Amino acid sequence: MPEYEKGTLEKLMDGKLSWHETKSIMSSFKDPDRFDKYVQILQDRVPYDDRILLPLALHLNIVQKKDGARVVKCDCGHEFGDYQENWKLGALVYVRDSEEKMQEVYPPLMHSNPNWIVLREYYCPGCRTQLEVEAVPPGYPVVFDFKPDLETFYKEWLGREI
Amino acid sequence: MSLETTPRILAIDAGGTMTDTFIINEKGDFIVGKAQTTPEDESEGFMNSSRDALAYWDMTVEEAFPSLVTGIYSGTSMLNRLLERKGRKVGVIVTKGMEDYFRLERGKQSYLGYSYSDRLHVCTHQHNEPIIPRSQIRGVPERIDVFGDAAIPMDDDAARRAVEELLDEGVEAICVNFMFSYRNPAHELQMKDIVEEVLSARGVDIPVTIASDHYSVRGDFPRLNTLTVEAFAAEPSRQHLRAIDARVKEKGAHFDLRIMASHGGTISIESRELARTLVSGPIGGVIGATWLCDHIGVENVFCTDIGGTSFDLAIITGGEYDVKPYPDMARMLLAIPLVEMDSVGEGTGSYVRVNPTSGRIEIGPDSAGYRIGTSWPEGNVTTVTINDCNVVLGLINPDYFLGGDIKLDRERALKAVQMQIAEPLGIDVYRAASGVVELFEESLKNDVLSRIMGKGYAPINYTLLNYGGGGPLHVGGISEGMGFERVLVPTWAAGFSAFGCSCSDFEYRFNASLDLPLAPDVSPDEKEGLVDMINGQAAFLREKIVEEFGKSGIDEDDLRVRIAIRMQYMGQLRDLEVRTDFEWLDGPESLDQVVADFEVLYAKVYALSARSPELGYLITQIVLSGTVDVEKPALPEEPPGDAEPPPEASKGTREVYWRGDWLEGTIWEMEKLKAGNRLPGLAIVESPATTFVVPPGSSAYLDKHRIFHLEWEKEG
Repeated sequence: MPEYEKGTLEKLMDGKLSWHETKSIMSSFKDPDRFDKYVQILQDRVPYDDRILLPLALHLNIVQKKDGARVVKCDCGHEFGDYQENWKLGALVYVRDSEEKMQEVYPPLMHSNPNWIVLREYYCPGCRTQLEVEAVPPGYPVVFDFKPDLETFYKEWLGREI
Repeated sequence: MSLETTPRILAIDAGGTMTDTFIINEKGDFIVGKAQTTPEDESEGFMNSSRDALAYWDMTVEEAFPSLVTGIYSGTSMLNRLLERKGRKVGVIVTKGMEDYFRLERGKQSYLGYSYSDRLHVCTHQHNEPIIPRSQIRGVPERIDVFGDAAIPMDDDAARRAVEELLDEGVEAICVNFMFSYRNPAHELQMKDIVEEVLSARGVDIPVTIASDHYSVRGDFPRLNTLTVEAFAAEPSRQHLRAIDARVKEKGAHFDLRIMASHGGTISIESRELARTLVSGPIGGVIGATWLCDHIGVENVFCTDIGGTSFDLAIITGGEYDVKPYPDMARMLLAIPLVEMDSVGEGTGSYVRVNPTSGRIEIGPDSAGYRIGTSWPEGNVTTVTINDCNVVLGLINPDYFLGGDIKLDRERALKAVQMQIAEPLGIDVYRAASGVVELFEESLKNDVLSRIMGKGYAPINYTLLNYGGGGPLHVGGISEGMGFERVLVPTWAAGFSAFGCSCSDFEYRFNASLDLPLAPDVSPDEKEGLVDMINGQAAFLREKIVEEFGKSGIDEDDLRVRIAIRMQYMGQLRDLEVRTDFEWLDGPESLDQVVADFEVLYAKVYALSARSPELGYLITQIVLSGTVDVEKPALPEEPPGDAEPPPEASKGTREVYWRGDWLEGTIWEMEKLKAGNRLPGLAIVESPATTFVVPPGSSAYLDKHRIFHLEWEKEG
């Protein structure tokens, strides 16, 4: 089974591995300890001590608080609240719903028609980092990307209690 | 051996790490030398390798080289230059609008050379770095349409500007590839004149090549690739080849060095189409097989080459191999003919793993290559390989690998197989190793069967020829129950590819696209017209052949020229190559003959009932090949003696684990066996370069040419 150094995985996460090395990792069997090493690297990089249970998206993790609460937390430390609630409801939002706003990020004629599709950008209230972008019809409910079943994931995939 | 031997043929195979030299004497005996490849000046590594080989015959290079009559080179330096994108600075001029060709490429190029699982694993697909950066590419407004008519005239001013700009970029060569130029080269010729005008006005002298002159074939992108590769990588390689040629001559040789080319012939190092020497190593075996079988009177051969990293297969039918017109190399589609062969990523160095998800054994596609496996401590390999399993089973003698030069550690292999395969599967270590080898052979067997049945043939009509360092060990496993007409293993199996290179003709082969429809109700007059068009194109190709041979001082009268027609049923997608015995078509009757031959060939390759001449035919390409006779190696000749092997050939017995049982195998030294000897299985024949296993239920007979015939007992 393949096993990679922590340094290799860090480079992989940062996109600093050569294509040749990346491809060889992609084409091999999954290294069995990847999840733990990956979470460890994230844990080392965040400024907070709360234990990361599951990475949720770039900059976002589900963490275990001292009081037992499981919350979605940004790299900067901002907490969005219980992971079973959609974190986007507590984020800053910017909607691109006009030709003019679209053309700040796309060349003319290369973007969607804002009457049909708008871009909703979500930002962290703590550090103003862009966390997610949705392309949805105007008025569409806020998309809840991912509500994991943490207990089952730990028990059945990692083979241990959370 | 002493000075009594006369070296006749020299074959060089310069790989990325090692240069192998193969020298054959007048009796067909051969020696192999190895030395490190020296990329800065390849002639250095070549000389070292020759010295290493000649040491077996107690000869020096100066003694040996004057008696050589021919020398053939094959190597990977050009391929490496291409892979590393280290070539000349080439400027490319294309039809306006096609400037991003190299960046867009054909989608297929993003996964060429991948294993089957990665081909399906789309996120591993990756665009290649363009061989020519966008800054060295210019588009010129012009358009020839599919009928060869000028739909848009060429913009001369824009053309001139393009050349000026490329020269300002400092390019060292210019290639021109316009759309449909194989239909009508007018614009390319016009462009060439303009380039030359600008060059002379500027007083610059750099080579200019146009696609219609070099590769007048359909397939815009492969044609552009080939033209560019030629200018980019092939020309710099020519300097290396000249240096080697000079070194050989300096040591007293009287011949011009030739290079193995992808179409199966050898060509001069001064040839203008060096790109087709990019890949030559693996096809050597097919050429050797063709020649060998011609000599022993076998027409249909299935070639199997088991190496350390791959399993190569090719079919020879009626004494001829197939040629693929658009092969790929170094992840590029090219418009050059390549001897048709398949390569599967399974060799004796292939890694063996238990898939953690499915709990099943998986072999390859990656391999330890020359590092053998865990059984070779110096190789630093941690994953089990097929070699390791063979060592565990007692099939490979750990003290006689490469004649004992490399000591293998059986205990180490045992431990690795135990931990990585046997334990996860919960079975005994020997059972595990044996299972892996069975699975490996079963998978090779499937590859063989799918190729042979896929072409509509049956094993009973074919001879299985097996070679490569790992071939003889597994030939039993892959031939068992297959019902081949016969199974042959030459005693020089390990060096068969290099041997094959020395069997090839001095041959140039050129092709040109025609795309001539041949309607079912064609009148005799129209047919006459078609024949004229074919012959016109043949005359153009013939000129190229004569010119190329002229560089080696060979006269037109000494050439043997043959025309072949590639054609298909109108509306179908795959063409077949119909070979002939004539130089050009002699009137409508010979065209009728070609069509009749096509029908027969089609029925053979596909099925009689699949023929569909209702809509007529399409003549896609004509192919002209010119050959001259050159010195070929001789087959060993030894009068057959007793069936009983001489006692000095015996190396005793060894316990071998065979499919669940421990059997006592007899061990033999290959070089000491005599023609006529017959070995009943289980026997293991060892030589420094390979191990031949005769399984229980079969026997091996060594014929007068020192080729083993593996014969299976009739099943009751």
